[in-house]
Amino acid sequence: MFRLQGSKVLAVDMTGDAVKAKNGSMVAYDGQMNFKKLTGGGEGLRGMVTRRLTGEQMTVMEVKGHGTCWFADRASEINLVGLQGDKLYVESSNLLATDAGLRTGTTFTGLRGASQGNGLFTTTVEGHGQAAIMSDGPAVALRVSPQYPLIVDPGAYIAHQGNVRQSFQSGVTFRTFFGEGGGEAFQIRFEGDGLVYVQPSERNTIAGDL
Amino acid sequence: MAFREINSKMVEATVLPGQRLFSQRGAMLAYKGDVSFTPNLQGGQGGLMSMIGRRVTGEATPLMTVEGSGTVFFGHGGHHVHVINLTGDTLYVEADRLLAFEGTLRQGTMFMGSQGGVMGLVRGQVTGQGLFTTTLQGQGSVAVMAHGGVFEIPITPQRPVHVDPQAYVAHHGDVRNKLSAALGWREMVGRGSGEAFQLELSGNGTVFVQASEEKL
Repeated sequence: MFRLQGSKVLAVDMTGDAVKAKNGSMVAYDGQMNFKKLTGGGEGLRGMVTRRLTGEQMTVMEVKGHGTCWFADRASEINLVGLQGDKLYVESSNLLATDAGLRTGTTFTGLRGASQGNGLFTTTVEGHGQAAIMSDGPAVALRVSPQYPLIVDPGAYIAHQGNVRQSFQSGVTFRTFFGEGGGEAFQIRFEGDGLVYVQPSERNTIAGDL
Repeated sequence: MAFREINSKMVEATVLPGQRLFSQRGAMLAYKGDVSFTPNLQGGQGGLMSMIGRRVTGEATPLMTVEGSGTVFFGHGGHHVHVINLTGDTLYVEADRLLAFEGTLRQGTMFMGSQGGVMGLVRGQVTGQGLFTTTLQGQGSVAVMAHGGVFEIPITPQRPVHVDPQAYVAHHGDVRNKLSAALGWREMVGRGSGEAFQLELSGNGTVFVQASEEKL
């Protein structure tokens, strides 16, 4: 029921079912729709407290109704991700909408988050259904397999799914500190089996300056 | 068709002798051939009364007249450009979103309060778009600007369309618009869904919506 209208607009056809979407991201709808803000991402009190603590405070609304609802956010490119029981890790700022049946939560990302300037926690989406994630420019989904690990610039990383381990690697040498660095001082290394979504743009990170 | 989309942010217009185009001042990117650009003090056409009308209403985006014979490329501020073809009906669009339009179209202004009564007035205030909007009527094409791409939603009597006022770009056809408020106590205490106001368009026509809630 999620479909893309062009690359920057998400159209959701609903017949009495619901979606969770970023607050205020509706641009138009026809038919009959209801908008309700979800407290703390819709997992009750515990979810709310976690969100407050972790700073992954995404304000989410539940849209329910009959008809078509269109979502967009600051002309970002939108990518559809299908989930079959696996887990999607995504920065809350890059998450536009999910099927209401998907569970959302937060996890600790460790150093990677700090290097991206996104904080130490990231949002997880789990279950069966579809999610729409946003990127600056069209994103590509790169496969990670046990034989082929993938190394990604922290500023270009937007999301990943599957059974993937991530570690942080640094190419900082004495040259970096003398201002002769390659500009690629930090990377995230993904190993295992899954997909990593990468955008053709680099958001500003602490690591990017080194 | 007078405008050809070169890419998402640029259009090409063919100018022929005896046929005028109007464009937002400063929106010319390049041209080939023998083309002249003259600032249009009246801000369009329609004579003196229309000019005063536009001055008073604040719908006076400076325009220029493009004449001669050749090809002109238009674009502005890196905004997305969308071409709308009119076949006798009226297009309602904010003046600052107009990139260029054919001289065959009649330009005017419409008081938003005249549609939807008091809510029409509120609409102008809430959306920051003012109380007046520009109308273009006749046969010809118009290039409008938007932040992000533009998509069209058909409006039919059975299915009115609701649009976020900030994402609204333009509409045409036999359409009534009114501002509908979804204001409940939740909105008042700041716990709303962020979708407090919507523009409701009903009737027969098309509405153009941008993929963003940012103004130009």
